[in-house]
Amino acid sequence: MRSPSSLKQEFLKRWMRGLQRCTSSSKKDMNILERKKVIKLSADLAMASARNGKTSWSRALIANASRDNDNRILAERILGPESDILIKRVSTSVGTVSCNRKIRSKKILKRSCNSVRRVRKGTHLPHQKVLAKSIAKRLVQKRTQILKRLVPGGEFMDELSLIEETLDYITYLQAQVDVMRCIASATELKNRNND
Amino acid sequence: MNRALQEMSYCLNGPGNCTDMTVLERQRARVRWQQSYFGGCDFGGVFSEPSQADQVGNFQDLVVGGDGSSVLDDVLTHSVKPDPGLESGWLELGRLELPKMGFGSGGSMNGSPTGLEMNSSISKTSSCPPTEAQSAPEAKGKVSVPAEKMSSAAGRDSSKKRKADKMQNTKVFAEDDAKDKRSKACAEEGESKITTEQARTKNNTSTPTTNNRETSADSPKENSKASEVQKPDYIHVRARRGQATDSHSLAERVRREKISERMKYLQDLVPGCNKITGKAGMLDEIINYVQSLQRQVEFLSMKLAAVNPRLDFNIDDLFAKETIPACSADFPTIGMSSEMTNPAYLQFNPVQQVAACCGFEMGLNSPDMALRRPLSALPEPYLDASCFTQLQPPPTWDADLQNLLNLEFHQEKSISFPYQPFTGSIEASNLKMEI
Repeated sequence: MRSPSSLKQEFLKRWMRGLQRCTSSSKKDMNILERKKVIKLSADLAMASARNGKTSWSRALIANASRDNDNRILAERILGPESDILIKRVSTSVGTVSCNRKIRSKKILKRSCNSVRRVRKGTHLPHQKVLAKSIAKRLVQKRTQILKRLVPGGEFMDELSLIEETLDYITYLQAQVDVMRCIASATELKNRNND
Repeated sequence: MNRALQEMSYCLNGPGNCTDMTVLERQRARVRWQQSYFGGCDFGGVFSEPSQADQVGNFQDLVVGGDGSSVLDDVLTHSVKPDPGLESGWLELGRLELPKMGFGSGGSMNGSPTGLEMNSSISKTSSCPPTEAQSAPEAKGKVSVPAEKMSSAAGRDSSKKRKADKMQNTKVFAEDDAKDKRSKACAEEGESKITTEQARTKNNTSTPTTNNRETSADSPKENSKASEVQKPDYIHVRARRGQATDSHSLAERVRREKISERMKYLQDLVPGCNKITGKAGMLDEIINYVQSLQRQVEFLSMKLAAVNPRLDFNIDDLFAKETIPACSADFPTIGMSSEMTNPAYLQFNPVQQVAACCGFEMGLNSPDMALRRPLSALPEPYLDASCFTQLQPPPTWDADLQNLLNLEFHQEKSISFPYQPFTGSIEASNLKMEI
């Protein structure tokens, strides 16, 4: 995959740029929660724009950000000049999200039919194995559901793409955490030194 | 089983004589089939068996007293209903020809000396359309031509089938049905391996494509990943010995392999996942890790917001005054620095520092390691380097960075690091806040 350091550099660049854009335009002082929101949002959007809409989670992040009206202005500001293009691209893929819903419902239907068919065919395994298998399957399914909720935009994907998205998302999260931690420590140091 | 067939065909071929027309037809068809078949048509071995079984069934009709071996009997009893689209085409031909040829028909489709080849080539081509022999438009063209020559409605249907788009449901259903039926026969015979071997031996030219896998029900996304063929619509799988050759199970197996491959990547990414083997456990770890990362991000952004009342992150400022040397084994960052011109360099320098610093941090993420890190005295060169963090002309900066890097690289990563005193306190404070 991409080298982690280049990832972090890219992320940092975009993040700082977005933050600067945001802070320069707003005159009033924000309270801590607002600041936190801004920081987080800008970080998310920075990374998401870095992916340029290639991964599903990045698109979902941008889509979520632009959905609420109050966030939208912020998001647009953060994203800067390229926001229009990006949001347009994301909205076209959001159209696919609704298609994904249809696909998903079709898949659910198909799956239920298949499972019925398979049950009718009958299994050749003894009861214990069948039980164990079904339990295992149910566990995995439950966990996949949870994972789908965690990864942004993951609800409409099949398992394989979900795993890929998770991979990408995890690398992004790691980069984000590291960069943030570094900056936090640096600012803390600076403040301590200044005092 | 195949050898028995071959022997039989030879025997039956002996006395008889095929009519010219059929021979000519068949030879032409055979040439085309062979061309198409060597033209890269990938044959699922699954289908060669049943087609032979069908032909053997025809033998059996003719052979007096049914003196076939017990194997033949088995084949007959398990013989499947022919695929409506395709097999009937061949079968009809067989049935048409057989009465004319009498015993001499032997391999129903066989021309006399080339009977065996014909047999196998037919079996190959019959397997071709259901596997949706790919791209090869030549294959399509050539196979469809003999089909039309046979001038059976079924033949036409089969050619239509071949030309049909993979996304059309009817085709998929027909394929699935055919595969299901054939796979039943195959599974019961346990012949999958033999057919694959036979296919393999004859399929030398198309071995590069044998690594592809076949699915009929996969998502377009997976198909587009398929790769080596011109039109990556289908991936072709070989059924392994002793495994079901059901199209569903094939697709399932492909899917499962892909998933397990991805899970392996995840294992590398998520720390502490090496010992866990089950999917559920792995997913559990992944979920925990993602949740913890997300929580960390929340916390860190809160911390940043608290630390920075005005949200002014001035990176140059930050790192000019701070003693965060760019020590890490991140050579790429250094590589980048040397490429850049001065102004760009100065701009990116802090970025690299952060990245480098983060690279270091990544190596020592857990607080345990931080605690264990020995606090050695600052050696002289590092102090000097820290002084150099003020804006310096690039060449010396470069040299310093190189020095630091070399030193860092030669040392073990977990041991003494320049900004020990600071990071000790930083980590401690982090610990306090995280706990």
